[in-house]
Amino acid sequence: MSEAQATPARIKRLIVSSLNLDGMRPEMIDDHAPLFGEGLGLDSVDALELVVALEKEFGIKIKSQEIGREVFSSVASLSQYIESRN
Amino acid sequence: MGRMPTTSDSRRVVVTGVGAVCGFGWGVEPLETGLRAGATALLPFSRFDHSRHRTHLAAQVPEPPSGVAASFPAWRRLTQADRFALFAAAEAVSQAGLAAPLGPAAGVFFGSSTGGMFETELFYRELARKGGRPRLSALASQPVSGPGDAVGRHLQVAGPVRTISSACSSATLALGAALDAIRAGEVEVAIAGGSDSLCQLTYAGFNSLRAVAEGPCRPFREGRDGMSIGEGAAVFVLEPLALALQRGALPLAELAGAGSCCDAHHMTAPDPAGEGAAAAVEAALADAGVAAGRVDFVNAHGTGTPLNDAAEWRALERVFGPRGRLLPLTATKGAVGHLLGSAGAIEALATLLCLRAGEVHPTPGDGPVDPALPLALVTGRPLPLRAEVAVSVNLAFGGSNAALVLSRFPAPADRAA
Amino acid sequence: MTGLGTVGAFGCGRQALEAALRSARPALSLVDRSLYHRTGGARRAALACRNLAGWVPPAEARRMSAPSRLAVAAARMALEDAGLGRGWTSPGRPPAETAVVVSTAFGPSSCTEGLLQQIFLDSPESASPFLFTESVANAPAAQIAIATRARGAGITLSQREAGPLLAVGSGAAEIALGRSRRALAGSVEEITPLLHAVLDRFGALARPRGLAEEEQEEVARPFDRRRDGFLAGEGATVLVLEEVGEARRRGARALARVAAWGSAFDSTAAPTGWGEGAAGLAGALVRCLERAGLRPGDVDLIVSGASGSREGDRLEALTLHAAWGEAPLPPVLAPKGVTGEYGGGFLAAALLAVQGVPFGPTAGFAEPDPELRLFPHGGGPLPTPRNTLVTSLAAGGAAAWLVLARPEAA
Repeated sequence: MSEAQATPARIKRLIVSSLNLDGMRPEMIDDHAPLFGEGLGLDSVDALELVVALEKEFGIKIKSQEIGREVFSSVASLSQYIESRN
Repeated sequence: MGRMPTTSDSRRVVVTGVGAVCGFGWGVEPLETGLRAGATALLPFSRFDHSRHRTHLAAQVPEPPSGVAASFPAWRRLTQADRFALFAAAEAVSQAGLAAPLGPAAGVFFGSSTGGMFETELFYRELARKGGRPRLSALASQPVSGPGDAVGRHLQVAGPVRTISSACSSATLALGAALDAIRAGEVEVAIAGGSDSLCQLTYAGFNSLRAVAEGPCRPFREGRDGMSIGEGAAVFVLEPLALALQRGALPLAELAGAGSCCDAHHMTAPDPAGEGAAAAVEAALADAGVAAGRVDFVNAHGTGTPLNDAAEWRALERVFGPRGRLLPLTATKGAVGHLLGSAGAIEALATLLCLRAGEVHPTPGDGPVDPALPLALVTGRPLPLRAEVAVSVNLAFGGSNAALVLSRFPAPADRAA
Repeated sequence: MTGLGTVGAFGCGRQALEAALRSARPALSLVDRSLYHRTGGARRAALACRNLAGWVPPAEARRMSAPSRLAVAAARMALEDAGLGRGWTSPGRPPAETAVVVSTAFGPSSCTEGLLQQIFLDSPESASPFLFTESVANAPAAQIAIATRARGAGITLSQREAGPLLAVGSGAAEIALGRSRRALAGSVEEITPLLHAVLDRFGALARPRGLAEEEQEEVARPFDRRRDGFLAGEGATVLVLEEVGEARRRGARALARVAAWGSAFDSTAAPTGWGEGAAGLAGALVRCLERAGLRPGDVDLIVSGASGSREGDRLEALTLHAAWGEAPLPPVLAPKGVTGEYGGGFLAAALLAVQGVPFGPTAGFAEPDPELRLFPHGGGPLPTPRNTLVTSLAAGGAAAWLVLARPEAA
């Protein structure tokens, strides 16, 4: 399995576990589906919760200015962002 | 002073004493001096190790002047929040010319968001330390009713004592509850205010929301990027005007009205349309019997976060209309930080000091006001203004908005009598 | 009072509470004290039923702490009981007519503890935003306001054991002052193992004693000679309060009328204990009755906040005797042997008592204490009371009372 496949899967697992989405299987989250607003319908506090989980999981520090709509719009964009940090 | 009370005085409630503790020091005087100078008490602090927190500033209360500890029994066993509360209450009661025991005609109405949490955290620090000995007794300080109860005990109050813990509007609501209690005849003296101390729970908590600015907060300024945290207490002695005059007390100002209203919108984000906040201000004005057009300046909640200040500006627009853009506006959080559960009290006190001094204190820091929020922010130096009526606003985390109307005493009608 | 919602160890809703009160048996669960076992000996608490999916759907519950879920469930239960649906559901902005006043002694404990563990055992940067927003004392009240779209005043009180009655008084005041047409007033509490350990460490909790079969479990014994502490209880109780005329106009069924409320402070109390100020408290109690146009002799029933606490029950008995003077007390119910202390269960029990719901014998009471000379209800039917006094004395010195009257005939 390539690195590129592992990151989206890890992110999806984090989304389900850190945001209390019990009953949702990580595989059910589409790579390109919107996470905020519509789609999963997450909000600003969910985003911040996810940031804390991502920082821990990937050992990175995410600056406040980076927590924006584009990076966090989907699992794919998040994955791209995280890979670029490594 | 010396004026005979009239029957129309019966519903009026005045402030006869005030006390404070904040980052500028112990007492009302350091607070007033710091505010007038446009100074800030937001600095690197030492209350706890913040090296692993995301930000590093706070408005920490300095060590008390010598002699303070000795004047309160069991000072060493008191929490920080208790100490701030007791000092401020004692200062206020002394100014009012009252003394313990205050008895059944007196009540305590207090606000706090974390009470003795700082002392509770010592348990967790020990828990984390290798070879540490965490003692469960450290957790006894957790209930937020601690500081209010401590004031009740110290002043030997026998009337109602209660603590409100509604985040950032706690003390504002407490002052409102005190106003209600006096008007209802439930008490003749109300000791009202709030106290909160720095603690890692709130410091890390607000940081987890990425809501804390790296530098001192800059309410309503362009490019503002978050709040700053402070600690301290402020206490008011409130009495019915008739009784205050009867006993020869000197009213410092009048607490003319209070109002509150929930957003019922979101747990952390304010309603961007500012409707709940506007409704709270309007309710306070209605309670005071004062039209919006008579307000001379506003002490805003002004945390310095992009969202809060924008929502608050919307709210002020709704209440004051186009005139809102010209109404002098000040905010204390750039000076003393956000005092959380006691913010409402210290900000009401700042408002009172402006009324008495005939000038509105500036907001510290530089940079232009956010062009998206046209308003008359007072900056640089105090603005000379012989105000008669002012409004102080607080918008809480969780959406509980509250406002107070304070007016100069004697009012024009009193002076004409 | 037009609606009641309550969740506790007894289950969900008034029927469950009625059954528990009739059988006079508390529903206790073991608290996992493995981390904090070196104190006390108390092992059980009245932990709340957590099966709330019917009242709080998973999508909402996802973002709520246990206290918020309990509080929202109780609020919706109360609104439905009052015939008001589950809150404002019409489109558009709800009018700012419903106030929310909630009390809590310790706040959302598991969130606070979880957050502190993250900060101290891991690092401040691992603090969870979700835990923080739910750890503030006013989170449950804010969640009620959002869930039921209540836009009047939103107040959270924290005054330990006196919280529930203070919340009702405060809610009633909002209506009496014409600021709200309706109020959702009540209490919520969560008992975590650590909180249980702290209460135990301070000797506040009843402990299992002796080898006799019936003493293997902790028993809270209100007013009993052998009492040694209370049962920690968690749950939520919310009442719908409405202005009398308003309730009548919409044809609401009234459960009770709030005739008066009052509170006072005993400054001789230590921060975590009770004091010696029975005389002062009795004076305040009598003044509270006067506000309802009553004298002690007019009270048909007392629902006491006595919990089995050595000092608290003592002060309660002394206060009642001081207020009644030479006259005998009316029947006294002490439901905290069943509901436990905290969470407002006893407030719900008081409302049931006002409606003449039969109570069993006072759970835990068997041997009178000669110093207290107080004999709580021994079981058997009681006439439906016209005027009921509900009492609570908090550790730290606060006291709060409510006078409930039978609702007038329509």
